[in-house]
Amino acid sequence: MNPLYFGLRNLSRGRGRFAVVTLLVGIAFFLLLVTQGIRGAVESYTGQLKQTVDNSLQVRARGSMGHVNMKGNDQILPQPFLEKVRVLPHVAKVEPYLLGMSPTTGHNFAMHVGLVPGDAMRLESHGEAGNPRIIAGRGLRAEDAGKDVGVIGQRYASIVGITPETLGRATLTIDLTRTHPVIFALDRPKRTIRIVGIYASGYVFGDTQLFMPLDTFRDIYGVKEGISWLFIRATSSDHVAELERKLREMFREAADIIAPTAAAEFERETTAAVLTLSHVGSALAAALAAVVTFFVMLLVVRQRAREIGTLKAIGAGNGYVVAAFLTEGVMLSLAGVIVGAALFVAVGASAAEQVFAIGLTPFLAPQYQDTLAPTLTFAARLDGPAIAALAIAGVAVAIIGSIFGVLRIVRLSPLEAMRHE
Amino acid sequence: MNSAVPLITLKGISKVYMRGKSRVAALDGVDLEVPERGMTAIVGPSGSGKSSLLHVMGAMDRPTSGTVRVAGQDLNSLQEHALTPFRRDTIGFVFQSFNLVPNLSAVENVMLPLEFAGIRAEERRERAQHLLSRVGLAERATHRPGELSGGEQQRVAIARALANNPRLILADEPTGNLDSKTGQTIFEILKDIAKDRTVIVVTHAEALAATADRVMKMRDGRIENSAR
Repeated sequence: MNPLYFGLRNLSRGRGRFAVVTLLVGIAFFLLLVTQGIRGAVESYTGQLKQTVDNSLQVRARGSMGHVNMKGNDQILPQPFLEKVRVLPHVAKVEPYLLGMSPTTGHNFAMHVGLVPGDAMRLESHGEAGNPRIIAGRGLRAEDAGKDVGVIGQRYASIVGITPETLGRATLTIDLTRTHPVIFALDRPKRTIRIVGIYASGYVFGDTQLFMPLDTFRDIYGVKEGISWLFIRATSSDHVAELERKLREMFREAADIIAPTAAAEFERETTAAVLTLSHVGSALAAALAAVVTFFVMLLVVRQRAREIGTLKAIGAGNGYVVAAFLTEGVMLSLAGVIVGAALFVAVGASAAEQVFAIGLTPFLAPQYQDTLAPTLTFAARLDGPAIAALAIAGVAVAIIGSIFGVLRIVRLSPLEAMRHE
Repeated sequence: MNSAVPLITLKGISKVYMRGKSRVAALDGVDLEVPERGMTAIVGPSGSGKSSLLHVMGAMDRPTSGTVRVAGQDLNSLQEHALTPFRRDTIGFVFQSFNLVPNLSAVENVMLPLEFAGIRAEERRERAQHLLSRVGLAERATHRPGELSGGEQQRVAIARALANNPRLILADEPTGNLDSKTGQTIFEILKDIAKDRTVIVVTHAEALAATADRVMKMRDGRIENSAR
């Protein structure tokens, strides 16, 4: 009987023993998978958070609002800065804007914004201007570049007599030769643009704007180069502070830079704390699984020291004994790993939610502590290859436990081995 | 084989254990020669050193001092890895609690030493079946130890000890876990085996020991007397 078969036969020695060992290893492996799943989910969620929170830095000419025809506020950024900013590290996107003003009949003035079609419609804000949303027609598209089209705010539309029903045929004529106490005249020909959409922001000043393609704006206002505003989105909140520093080095006295550094830092510290918590949890579970698996295998071998002594007494070489017990250890741990993985597939998601809620509860305000677990929706992230890698690691620990145990015994004389039990 | 040369020669054998801080001399300067063939019974009270002597003779344990020569081999000079093939080829062990592998059948237990000796599978099974027949267990060959009585298990253990046709059989209290009738049967089997090889039996059963070819009495780690 070769040692591998001998080891396999040993699995059938007792159902109780097999069940206990399999269950112990299986539960330890299940907990390991759950905590690794939590860690994966936390990493994924925080990664998404870092990309989706407001990581945008705003740059505009120092001391100027950047409106090309506003008295005392018509300084804009030189064009070469745009290309320099694009190649900075950790820059995900650069959004250039040009701003101008137009006197309106029956009202003071409206704001005109030139932007790359598809970029965010950002409102000229002196505070909270809200987020514009299209309420009729459509927004600007890539194919609108260079065309005389625009999307108008609902208040501006009301002033100039444009309604949702007239969209598509409605036009707006821009006359920059007119003046206003804060606007100087530009010697530019009148230009009529077609209005394709109406937006609302929930803010009166914000709703008195007109968005048009950047190239169209340049033509209308006669601004061949330069940028009023640059919005620069960092790849992650982790890089906002660094990007701000690089921008300040680049622009020096030429620009004002508004960066959400404090918010990004708060988010970074918060997510780092949650990540650390999940890493510590998964490390503890990994250590627990390793210790349980190691000592279970060690015990399985030590319980059989008399048998090892007997095998040696009747002529078994150390290699035979090691191979036999190693086979048994590998098969026992494989059974445990399969049980643990099956449990994870069956109840891993809800277990992850419960464990995550338990881990997070002490850090919550009292009024949220009872309600977190029932309301938490948390998808443990662990794919097949990761489970396989952990299973291999689990079996490796079992091998180490088995080898450690059996080597300690086979080195003894048969009599000492028998007494070792 | 020259029958004048003893199979076992022990000179000045002592074995000392430390039990806590106390020094316990299990064997105290034992000199002994055991000839080829025949049964030798070692008797004596508990703690007299019987089993320790058997273990030293069987290369199961090393003496603290003294020389051990078995079947022409100086055991003191052999490393542990070299003792394994020596035990496999030269000695067969019979233990008080049988020490069979519980999940293997009787015939598979007997085949194990043959496997360790590198015997081919067919020959292993044939020889194991023959040995089980010799101890009267041909019909029980496929039963596991848990399905056999104590006497039957000990007979399987004897068959296993004979598997590689060793020159020496060492039996440590082989009847210790058996009733007297079964014990007598086992002793008869061992005596039969001793016709063509050397059998050394450690036992408390002095009545059975008296039927052996030689009887050695031990006390306090020494051989008190040896009788034929």
